[in-house]
Amino acid sequence: MPDSIATSLDERFGEQPRTCKAGSGAFAHYELDPGIYDEMFQRDGTPREACHRLADTLARASPDDLATLQEGVARRFLHEGITFTVLGRAEMSEHIIPIDCVPRVLSAEEWDHVDRGLRQRITALNLFLEDIYHEGRSLRDGVVPADLVLGCRQYRVQMRGLKVPHGAYVSVCGTDVVRTRDGFAVLEDNLRVPSGVSYMLACRAAMKQAYPRIYRAHGVREVAQYPRDLYSTLASLGSWRGAPRVAVLTPGRYNSAYYEHAFLAGEMGAVLVEGKDLVVHDSVLYVRTVAGLKRVDVVYRRIDDDFLDPVTFREDSVLGVPGLFEAYRAGNVVIANAPGTGVADDKAIYAFVPAIIRYFLDEEPILANVETHLCREPDGLAYTIENIEELVVKEVGGSGGYGMLVGSHASASEREEFIARLRADPANYISQPVLALSRAGCFVDGRLEPRHVDLRPFVLRGRDEIRIAPGGLCRVALRRGGLVVNSSQGGGCKDLWILRGDREGAR
Amino acid sequence: MMLARAAADFYWMGRYLERAEQMGRLLDHQLTRLVDTPARELAHSWRVLYDVVGLATPSVPHDADEAEAFLIADAYTLAGTLVEDETQPISIVSCWGQARDNAKQLRPWLPVQVWTSLNQGFLWIHETDLPAAWAAGPPSLVREAIRRLRLIGGVARSTMARDDAWRFMELGRHVERLQHQTALLESWDRFGPLSGSSTSVWWADLLRICSAHELYCRVRSMVVRRGSVLAFLIRNPELPRSLRFAVRRIGELLADIDPGGARHPLAPPHAMALHLAAAVEMNPHGDAGIWHGEEESGRGHSFADLLGDSLTLHNLTMAAYVDYPVETGLPS
Repeated sequence: MPDSIATSLDERFGEQPRTCKAGSGAFAHYELDPGIYDEMFQRDGTPREACHRLADTLARASPDDLATLQEGVARRFLHEGITFTVLGRAEMSEHIIPIDCVPRVLSAEEWDHVDRGLRQRITALNLFLEDIYHEGRSLRDGVVPADLVLGCRQYRVQMRGLKVPHGAYVSVCGTDVVRTRDGFAVLEDNLRVPSGVSYMLACRAAMKQAYPRIYRAHGVREVAQYPRDLYSTLASLGSWRGAPRVAVLTPGRYNSAYYEHAFLAGEMGAVLVEGKDLVVHDSVLYVRTVAGLKRVDVVYRRIDDDFLDPVTFREDSVLGVPGLFEAYRAGNVVIANAPGTGVADDKAIYAFVPAIIRYFLDEEPILANVETHLCREPDGLAYTIENIEELVVKEVGGSGGYGMLVGSHASASEREEFIARLRADPANYISQPVLALSRAGCFVDGRLEPRHVDLRPFVLRGRDEIRIAPGGLCRVALRRGGLVVNSSQGGGCKDLWILRGDREGAR
Repeated sequence: MMLARAAADFYWMGRYLERAEQMGRLLDHQLTRLVDTPARELAHSWRVLYDVVGLATPSVPHDADEAEAFLIADAYTLAGTLVEDETQPISIVSCWGQARDNAKQLRPWLPVQVWTSLNQGFLWIHETDLPAAWAAGPPSLVREAIRRLRLIGGVARSTMARDDAWRFMELGRHVERLQHQTALLESWDRFGPLSGSSTSVWWADLLRICSAHELYCRVRSMVVRRGSVLAFLIRNPELPRSLRFAVRRIGELLADIDPGGARHPLAPPHAMALHLAAAVEMNPHGDAGIWHGEEESGRGHSFADLLGDSLTLHNLTMAAYVDYPVETGLPS
């Protein structure tokens, strides 16, 4: 990190504030679009209340200052090995996730709204999961079509009737939240093995070093407690005589999120294991240590259901542990998230989450859903085919930006090919309108410009408490006009500052 | 609690880092000699170097002039193979990459400073332009590599807890050192001149490779003789690269790792370490000339036994702490 630059920028922070505006000075290339919500500037080009301190500081920085800062942050990521692996290329290779050196800022009120919405959502989804694996009231009452749930690839019949401790099916959730001119909305509920929290923490560490005084003066809420909260959440899922032994189960170092698995294990004091490190004996799970086999109490798994246990799920899995599900069924180990949670983040079932919230909580959803057309329904299929140029079409079980088509960005032949796939297997697809995602200020190609962003906050649900880190992984589509923010598709990330209410915006 | 696989990774990380440094030391010595050493001697020392690391000897033309031209032109290739050839498991780049792979598995256990120094070093050597480095001066690259490898060791020493992670890493380092030093002494002795004026230079070079020349001159003599040098490099307890130093350290580490400590029955690798210590210190093989530092004609018959025993030690360690059967690992 170039300390002198950071210090120089930071020192200028104390200077008399200047008037800065989108479209002039350092923000000369920052063009506002009236149809798109901008996170930094209001429609008249002046900074939003929560952002004006940051905007003032950036206005004083030279492009060289920012370039050096950006390079320093990237170098830090490289040297510390904060990387992800891109799959599906001829040669698997490690990449640094591109990080943008301009943080996104949300006010306390804005965050409070998101926070309440997320709490509501995870509560309802856990109740829904408990219901579909036990009584099935919501299916009988037609809240969600029974065939959609029972026919979902992520529905695990093995979980039927199985008591999950404290009803915590989903203990760790990474919900994708977007903002449009209409406000915040949930784009996806990631309820299986959401990743990205380590980048949230790495971005924050880098930003603290880059803007120490600015950071301090803003009164930004801390996120560093996340690993401790995660451990507390996992530990709360059972009753133990002493501290439970927690294992983070990873597919291994070739997995795209391996850095995160290792990081979380290290920060939690948990043991990072692969399937081959674990043994089930008499329905008890053990880990191989140099001092013999030691019992494991909690598995924070970062592998999909299919690969957890070759005896119960996919028999060709070499990543899992034979007999793990039996140990789980016997109550000798806690698995988080529970197997079978993926059914609730299926993209078709997503369309019913508002109804699920109303049914189980008797409340109106705080966070909106994105309009979704189910291709399993004839009307939905016809609408999707007819309007494919204006829609995003997704596989119901897809993730990571794979298996989707952005109609406006696809060629005619790509659209035709996708329509053929839709017709062949309509139940496998949904469509949504192309959203005008909000844009935040970024330093790209040597100047400050707006880019589309989303937000993935991380929600933890333990025995009797929901904890949400006040922040999240803020993903950014670095390509001008691009909407895909996934790191595997060329997206980057930036820090998200949630301001404490008492100090926010004070000049 | 030390995960068995992680212990193996620490062990191998220690081995690979040590191996990379050993290779660097050998190359540093060899490349420094390029300036003024006659072609035949250079050819000979390349042969020894390749023999030490278990590679086939490069073929050199018999004619002196041709040999000289060949060696000067080909030193780049010969060194390049040992520095940057990723298909060659003993090259510095390969060893560094393997150590980094191990370290990557160990992120939860490894202080971030150790990872960062190891990763920075790897990125540096991986991106180094060998032709440019060669043009700047052949030994400079390996010296920088050695400096960075020692930096990793220093960072590890100052940041790691002295727990099983540290012990297994150190164990790997010293097992590697024992095997390498044994192979080095064996090859040096086998290829060394029987008599003549070059004898003392030959053995002094060995001392320098082992960073032992100054200590030898201080505690032994300015007179450098084969038997005395071998005895010094085998038995001196204070020299980090003596066989005795390595086996003692291995014994101490395994005593700390052994769940029974120093009580009998000792864990098999611990017992083997004591056997090795006795072999080095007590001369059980009857090779009096070497072990007692006297000049004699017998050449290093014990080294093969030592290498065999050190391999057994490695296997016993893996069997006791990493690859044990489930039944033996269950809690009683």
